[in-house]
Amino acid sequence: MRSKWAILWLLVVLAVGVHQVRFWLSARLDTDVLALLPEDEQAPEVGAATRKLADGASRELVLLVGAPDWEAAQRAADVAREALSRDASLLKPSALDASSFDTALELYRPYRDRLLTPAQREWLTRATADELGGTALMKLYQPAGPRLTNWEADPLGLWPDWWAARAAESTARPRDGRLWLSGEGREWVLLAFHSQVSAFALGADGHITRAVERAREAVTAAVPGSRVVAAGVPLYAESAASQASDEMSTIGTGSMLAVLLLVWLTFRSMRPIVMVGASLVIGCAVALSVTALVFDRVHLLTLVFGSSLVGVAEDYGFHYFASRQGKPPEERGSVMRGLLPGMVMALLTSVVAYLALGVAPFPGLRQMALFSAAGLVGAFLTVVCWFPHLDTGALPVTAFAQRFATSLARWPRFASTRTWWVGTAVLTLFTLGGLWRLKTRDDVRQLQGAPAHLIADQRELGRLLGLPSPAQFFLVGGQDDEQVLERETKLKARLDALVTDRKLAGYRAVSDWLPSAEQQRADARLSERAEAQAVAAVAVATGEAPTRASFAEGVLTPEQLLASPAAAAIRQQWLGMLGDQHFSIVMLRGLNDPSLLPHLADAAQGLEGVRWVDKTQEISGLLERYRKLMGGLIVLGYVAVLLLLVTRFKRQAWRAWLPTVVGTLFTLAVFGWVGEPLQLFSVLGLMLLLGMGVDYGIFMLEHPGDGSAWLAVALAGVSTLLSFGLLGLSATPALRSFGLTMLLGEVAIWLLTPCCRLPPGKDVS
Amino acid sequence: MKRVLLLVMLLAGMTASAQDMVTQVRARLADVPLLRGGFEQKKTVSGFKKPLVSRGVFLLAREKGVLWDTQTPFASTLTLTRKSLSAQQGSGAAAYHLDASKEPGLAAVNEVMFALLSGDVAALSKRFRVEGALTGTEGWKLTLTPTDAGLARVFRVIQLEGDKYVRQVRLEEARGDMSVIQFDQLAQTPPPNEAEAQRLAK
Repeated sequence: MRSKWAILWLLVVLAVGVHQVRFWLSARLDTDVLALLPEDEQAPEVGAATRKLADGASRELVLLVGAPDWEAAQRAADVAREALSRDASLLKPSALDASSFDTALELYRPYRDRLLTPAQREWLTRATADELGGTALMKLYQPAGPRLTNWEADPLGLWPDWWAARAAESTARPRDGRLWLSGEGREWVLLAFHSQVSAFALGADGHITRAVERAREAVTAAVPGSRVVAAGVPLYAESAASQASDEMSTIGTGSMLAVLLLVWLTFRSMRPIVMVGASLVIGCAVALSVTALVFDRVHLLTLVFGSSLVGVAEDYGFHYFASRQGKPPEERGSVMRGLLPGMVMALLTSVVAYLALGVAPFPGLRQMALFSAAGLVGAFLTVVCWFPHLDTGALPVTAFAQRFATSLARWPRFASTRTWWVGTAVLTLFTLGGLWRLKTRDDVRQLQGAPAHLIADQRELGRLLGLPSPAQFFLVGGQDDEQVLERETKLKARLDALVTDRKLAGYRAVSDWLPSAEQQRADARLSERAEAQAVAAVAVATGEAPTRASFAEGVLTPEQLLASPAAAAIRQQWLGMLGDQHFSIVMLRGLNDPSLLPHLADAAQGLEGVRWVDKTQEISGLLERYRKLMGGLIVLGYVAVLLLLVTRFKRQAWRAWLPTVVGTLFTLAVFGWVGEPLQLFSVLGLMLLLGMGVDYGIFMLEHPGDGSAWLAVALAGVSTLLSFGLLGLSATPALRSFGLTMLLGEVAIWLLTPCCRLPPGKDVS
Repeated sequence: MKRVLLLVMLLAGMTASAQDMVTQVRARLADVPLLRGGFEQKKTVSGFKKPLVSRGVFLLAREKGVLWDTQTPFASTLTLTRKSLSAQQGSGAAAYHLDASKEPGLAAVNEVMFALLSGDVAALSKRFRVEGALTGTEGWKLTLTPTDAGLARVFRVIQLEGDKYVRQVRLEEARGDMSVIQFDQLAQTPPPNEAEAQRLAK
């Protein structure tokens, strides 16, 4: 009977092995931090918009090379370009030259008459014939200037202003065949590169990061006083990947070694080491395969989190060997049968706790939950199905194990004495005080583990270039393209007021590059009337008969624009059809003051189809909502676990339950006293404490007074401590907070559980 | 901002250019903090049969700006300073104003212009290929071809002639139009009067 299960499990493990080989050959590891972020439940189009903005940027690397003067800046830019272009399979310079401007000019030229800025529209509407004629004359007689057309095609000289308004979307300007800007005491050259490798496929090797560092060094060495500011998703992706793989090897290897060392100290035999090790490896492999099958791509942070799984999965093996130690080999089967009820219950509580993590809509969290649950089941099945078959030799009790097992008898146990009540009162006061001081924080930044220098560079670049913010924008929806553009126009009228009040530097909207058909027709009529008056006035003044050029019959359509390279500027903001609606994004520049965000939210008030999206605030709001939800779930979870325990342990159930409750409250109290805020990820840690902390109580109750159960609990506790303690070293704030919660909680629960054990001679039944 | 470019080119002639040639031309040019005089501009524009002729006076104040006042065939003023460019018709019918803080290009052009005024030859030869010849004992001629893509979009070639001062500028635009500007009555005095100083302070 048992061997049938062993063979069945062997087949599963073999299948997992095959899958693992294929998985690692294709290496579908995800390093993109964005993949961890939650979907917006209420508005899928917001998610689509964010993804589109992110996709557009996912391969772009932007550099500003600055020096005290323009000459030096140009030299520095050449050095940087040379250093970065060295490996053509890595980075390719993006075209930022004048030819793209010429393409755009030719596309727009036939429609020049219907491309007006708001200021021109206003002026043409109110200007008198005298003013129009006078302006045309003045501009005609002025010493020559950079006109983009013949005089007849633009008698009022409107078009260069329209282009100037477009160019104002970035502070960079063409100069000597480069893109130049001036700021913060330096002259800068803008360089852009396109990564030849997808951000998803960037490994932990940091090729692009190293190339940028090489360029930085070369530039600093070649040009004194120079500076390189670099930003781009590839740098973040590489940093995340190398950080995750570093942590994975520290935490994973560290806890694995610690566990094996403990096993060696306890059993002084290779067999438990090999077998517990095997159960861990199989557990991790199963976890990875199941996660890969369900999610297709596995995130590197899942592996980091999963590394701590090691600290939990070895519990089953410990329990088996601790019980089996000193018993004759033929009793293996009965030892396992005796352990099974406790182990199943422990597995159930842990798996339930892990899976509860998946309630939150964070794709990353769901992966971690599934990974951990599958890993535990894999390790559990390995222990149950294989250990009794493979563990054939004798396993004498070691002195270390003996000493430890007998220590249980000396461990203090709660009794109704004065000392205990005083201790309880002190602990209660400490806990209440800490809980009183406990604060919460739901800041999205806890998800960012990016190094400070990357963030600083990104900010500086955004400031210098006047780039629009990708985290806050307006989403404009409508029945068709025309309605979207019309609604954008209404929104822009409100934004213009904010720009005038200097609350906003500017915005970037598709309709600036592609006015709605209605707007185009109205502008064409407006400029036709005004320019006819201007031409007539000039004819009178000069005694000649100039004529106004004619323009295209139809309007410029989205299809025409999108088919042209000129659409590059707005392509990522034009979402097209999502569901049954069409959408576009209006992006904002100069959003440096968070206190202005409510003004912007107000700007969308009452405008049909316009939605203000504040990704930062949205995610923070989501974190808060789920922190509260999970908090409620934990309370429910404690009630459910208590009921489960009562079905088996009757009136003694509290002995397994109370230590975890007290440990949890104690952890929160410590957080309160030291000023560590409560956030979603610490709440998730509390959830797992519930799953694991109760395990100890269960084993102590299942095998009262049994030194071997105590030994197993001790081993489990110490190894869990090690693994989560190491997670506390993570550079990702969320993981660190999670690790700290586990660390504190585990210590408290582990110390308290034996205090609540049954008095000698008493049994749960 | 646009028309300003032309003025920059104009002023370019009043200072200098490249290499030995440039050094020699510079030696012949007077280094003046202030220059005023009259101009006559003949502009050939497509769509117009005859050249458009205008006359007026100008004032160049180094470090401050340029005033370009057309008197015939109609009165209009043009003021270019570090901060802004503004134009006004004498009749008051038309006016426009560009703010350097809103139009970064204008600030850049002004910067270039003042670099030119202070005799920064390097700045000019970075944007133009400069060729030239000395004529007679005092005269010189320069031909400037833009090397910068942005400038090449505007000018095909610029020619300057002069002696102690720039006497003639000939601008050939990329789109075919052409202007020839003659200067006369050039003088280094008097200093700006109150009205002029006020305009330059804008």
